[in-house]
Amino acid sequence: MILKTKQLTKSFGGLKAMDKVDFELKKNEIRGIIGPNGSGKSTFFNLVSGIYDSDPGSYIEFDGHDITFTPPYKIAGYGLSRTFQLLRLYQDMTVIDNVMAGYHTKVPYSFIDAVVGRKKIWDQERAIKEEMMELLSFVGLADYAELNASELSGGQRRLLVLARAIAMKPKLLMLDEPAAGLSPVNVDNLMKIIMQLKDKYGLTLIIIEHILKVVMDTCNTVTVFDHGQKIAEGTPSKVKDDNAVIEAYLGKKMDDEEMRKALAV
Amino acid sequence: MGKFKILIRNYPFIAFIIAFCILALVPSVIFTDVYQSHLATLIFVNIVVAAGLNIVKGYCGQVTVGHVGLFAVGSYTAGTLFLYLGLGFWVTLPIAIVVTAFFGVAMGIPSFRLEGPYLALATLGGGEAIRLFIENGNFFRSTFGISDIPTPSLMGFNFDSPDRYYFISMTIMIIAVYFSFSILRSGIGRAFMSIREDPICAAAAGINVKKYKILAFILSAMFAGAAGAVYAHMPPGYIHPNNYTVIEMVTFLAMVVLGGLGHIWGGIIGAVIITIVYDLTRPLYKYQLLIFGLTIVLTILFMPKGIGGFIDRYFLEKRFKKKTGTEKT
Repeated sequence: MILKTKQLTKSFGGLKAMDKVDFELKKNEIRGIIGPNGSGKSTFFNLVSGIYDSDPGSYIEFDGHDITFTPPYKIAGYGLSRTFQLLRLYQDMTVIDNVMAGYHTKVPYSFIDAVVGRKKIWDQERAIKEEMMELLSFVGLADYAELNASELSGGQRRLLVLARAIAMKPKLLMLDEPAAGLSPVNVDNLMKIIMQLKDKYGLTLIIIEHILKVVMDTCNTVTVFDHGQKIAEGTPSKVKDDNAVIEAYLGKKMDDEEMRKALAV
Repeated sequence: MGKFKILIRNYPFIAFIIAFCILALVPSVIFTDVYQSHLATLIFVNIVVAAGLNIVKGYCGQVTVGHVGLFAVGSYTAGTLFLYLGLGFWVTLPIAIVVTAFFGVAMGIPSFRLEGPYLALATLGGGEAIRLFIENGNFFRSTFGISDIPTPSLMGFNFDSPDRYYFISMTIMIIAVYFSFSILRSGIGRAFMSIREDPICAAAAGINVKKYKILAFILSAMFAGAAGAVYAHMPPGYIHPNNYTVIEMVTFLAMVVLGGLGHIWGGIIGAVIITIVYDLTRPLYKYQLLIFGLTIVLTILFMPKGIGGFIDRYFLEKRFKKKTGTEKT
C-alpha cells in the first residue's frame, strides 16, 4: 500500500470540498480519477501533496510515513511528485533549468560545499545535467533545452511538466489532467511516453483525466468523485456501467427507445 | 575544448585569481590620478551590494527596497565599533557582516506573507526605519557623521590612500563575486529561481520555500554588510546618514535592473556602468534621480532582462540556429 487516506475531509467555509474519503493505492498501480468539474479531484491532489492542510480527523499515509500535516516539500522528499492542472511552469527559466529544479530533492551536495564552490560540485552538477538531458531527449525536448520555457508550444509544455515531475525519481506520480488541450495524436504520444516512463522508473501513477478513452485504456482501477465524495471505484468496465457514475458524470444512459425518440426530433 | 577551458570549468576560482591579477595591475597601468582609484573603490563597493541585491531580487524574486538600510547597518556597525571601542577594519568587517545578517533575517520575515509591491512597501519601511533610527539620537553622531574611521593596515603596511585602499576593496569584491557565482550556479540558485517563478510548484517539487527565502535575504544582507564596512573604512573614513537614503536605493536598483535581473553577471555590469555615469553626471546633480528613474523605466520597457540578458539572448539565438537550422524568434 503506497498511499492510504482515511476519512479525508476538507471544507472551505461551509462547502465540503472533500468529504470523508477513504482511498487506497497499491504499488505499481495505475489509478484513474474521474468526475465532473468541482467534484474534488484536484482538491484531493492538493490535500495529498500537502498544498492544503486537511481538516482534523483526516489521515493520510504515504509509503509508511504519516503525512497528514506534513509540509509539501517534505512530502516531495518522501518521493511523491505531482503536476498541476495549470502547469505552473517556471516560465522565465530555461527548459533544462526547469527540469534540474525538479531534481532538487536529490541534489547530493551540502550548502557549504556550494558556497565554497569545490570541484566536486561542478562534477556533480555536470552529471545531473547530463542525466536531465537524457530525460529531455526521452520526452523529445533535447533541442529546446536552452530556450525559455515560455517559448514552448502547448504540447511541449505538457511534456516539460511531465519531465520536471519525473526528474526527482518519485515513487508516486500524480498527474492532473496531463492531456488537457492536446490533439488526439498528441494525446496518444503523451500516453505512450507516460507508460514508457512508468516502466523505466517503476512508478505508481494517479491520473486525473477528462478524456475517457485515456482513462479506460490505461488505468487498472478507476475512482469516481462527485461533490467531494467517492461514488464508485473499480475496473474501468465496471465503473462505466455504474448507475451513479452515469448519472453524475457520463450523462444519462439511453435505451434504444429513448435514443430513437431523441434522434427523430 | 581547450585544456585551459576545462581547467577553468573544474576550478572556477582560477578564473578569479586571474581576474585578481589583472585588476591588481590596473592602477599602475591605466589610472592617471588618485581620484580614479577612489572611483574604482566606489565601483567595487557598489558591485558587492548589487551582487547581493541580485540574489534576493533577481534570483529569489523578493522585491526589496530596504537594501540600503542593510548597507547602512554594515557601515554603522563598523563606524560605531571604531568610535566606542577603537576597533580596526579586520575586526569590524566580520562583525558588520554578522550583524547585518541578523538584520537581513528581520527584513526577510515579511516575505513569508507578503508579495510584490506589498513586500516592497514593508522593506521600504524597514530600510527607512533603520536610517531614521541612526539619524535621531547622538549615539551615532548623526549631526556631524562619524569621521576619521581608520583605514586598515596589514603587517605594518597601511592602506591609507585611495590608490592603496583600492587593493582592499578589490579583494573583497572578488571574494564576494566568487561566492555569488558559486551560490547561483549551484542547486541553490535554481531553488531561488523556482521560488521566484512559482512558489507553490517549488514547494511541491521539494523546495523549502521559507528556508530559501530567508537564506536569500541573509546572503544578500551579508553582501550589503561587507560593502557597508568597506565603504565606512574607505579614506577619508567618513559616514553620514544622508548617504543611506532612498536615492541610494534607487541607484542600487538601477544597477541590478540595467545589468539584468536574474542574470549572474547582471549586478556587476550594472554597478560598473551606473557608478561611472553617476560620477560623470555629478554637475547635473539636480537631474540625477530623473536620469536613473528613466534608466529603470526604459530598461524594463525595451530590455526587460537588462544588458546581461540581452547578450545571452544573442548567443543563444546563434547556437539555436546552428543546432536546428531554424530561426527562433
